[in-house]
Amino acid sequence: MSLVVILSEPRLRREAWRALLQAQPGIKVVACVGETSGLADLEAPEQGVAMLVDMEDLLVETLRLTARLRPAWGALVLVRTYERREIAPLLRAGAMGVLTRDSTVAEIVSALVASARGELVLPGSLTPELLTDLLGRALSSTDDIPALSPREEEVLRLLAHGLTNKAIAQDLLLSVRTVESHLRAIYAKLQVASRTEAVLWAVAHMNPPPG
Amino acid sequence: MNATPVAVLGTLADFHREPIPYNLGALIRLVRAIHPDLLCLDITSHEWQTRDFARLPLEYREALVPLAGQTDIVVVPVADERPRPEEELRGARAAIARKIMSALAYVQRSAPSPAAINEGVRHHLANDLYQLLAGLQGKAMREEATLHASRLAANIVRAARRDPGRRVLVVVNVRFCHYLRRLLRNYLDLQVVRFSEL
Repeated sequence: MSLVVILSEPRLRREAWRALLQAQPGIKVVACVGETSGLADLEAPEQGVAMLVDMEDLLVETLRLTARLRPAWGALVLVRTYERREIAPLLRAGAMGVLTRDSTVAEIVSALVASARGELVLPGSLTPELLTDLLGRALSSTDDIPALSPREEEVLRLLAHGLTNKAIAQDLLLSVRTVESHLRAIYAKLQVASRTEAVLWAVAHMNPPPG
Repeated sequence: MNATPVAVLGTLADFHREPIPYNLGALIRLVRAIHPDLLCLDITSHEWQTRDFARLPLEYREALVPLAGQTDIVVVPVADERPRPEEELRGARAAIARKIMSALAYVQRSAPSPAAINEGVRHHLANDLYQLLAGLQGKAMREEATLHASRLAANIVRAARRDPGRRVLVVVNVRFCHYLRRLLRNYLDLQVVRFSEL
């Protein structure tokens, strides 16, 4: 069960999100708040929570505050369009993912499940550029390249396209648990600690670059 | 490595829309409770990739595909191509087919639970009735249905071998269940189990 907190100013919109998401299997809406100050006193776990952010203004400030109050929650932000210059500041401010308002309910639910797990949710076409922006560092392409199995290479390539574990599994017709197992092996071989670092490694080393 | 557990669950196409114990809601609850790693469906890769679900049975379109979209369940399309629709029967054969269909409808509507459709007397009786119906369709259609089921089985085996040890649930029209289970039991690296044991 993925826990979801909704952050949106207009009450009606908050309640509409609650009604829509509450009806989805695997989703439990634990709270709806209109402003970030409401997050501080919420009784919700520190981890395993996705926060759906549907705000019109002051998004970057809101995300910075949110990241301070609830650093382990995965903030999923609704944006108008997938534009790098709009999305990069949101990621720097602490967003774990973005979706456009044109997304389907299924896409939103799937993205919330991924955000609650701490996975990045990004448009595939922009992922490499966005991650490079996000970390602000370039990896040397002359590092030793560890030997990945062909399956691990496939998984890493799809990861670098911004796919969630479920999407990678569906693409390769493997179970999600198998993809998770491949990811653990990839992290160990690349000596990285996180999904983001693995993606950045792929962006720097995989030829031709993914995306 | 242990054998890969595979269960085959039968569905009832349009009957699922009726107010019977094994309606669409019951099917969704059942598959959600089983929560397989891989869900093999009688869908072609083309239909899956193009999201062309118009010709799929109700239980796929309105229950299983949406459920998979909202969970970690991965759908594996295991049909090579969609079989030709059955021909309309005429004369005496049509009259016999109507009788058989009405018996089938009774057997399936009166089943008290999904388990009753998928196991035990009703399941075997339904299979026998489907065999009779297939007999009325003529040799060519029978062979085509057998070939379709054989291809389903081959693709299920391929899916299980790609990801050994994971829990595989096959959901197909109940008419294919017996045949598929029989074919799958021939593979030593698969263990065909009841859906309640998966």
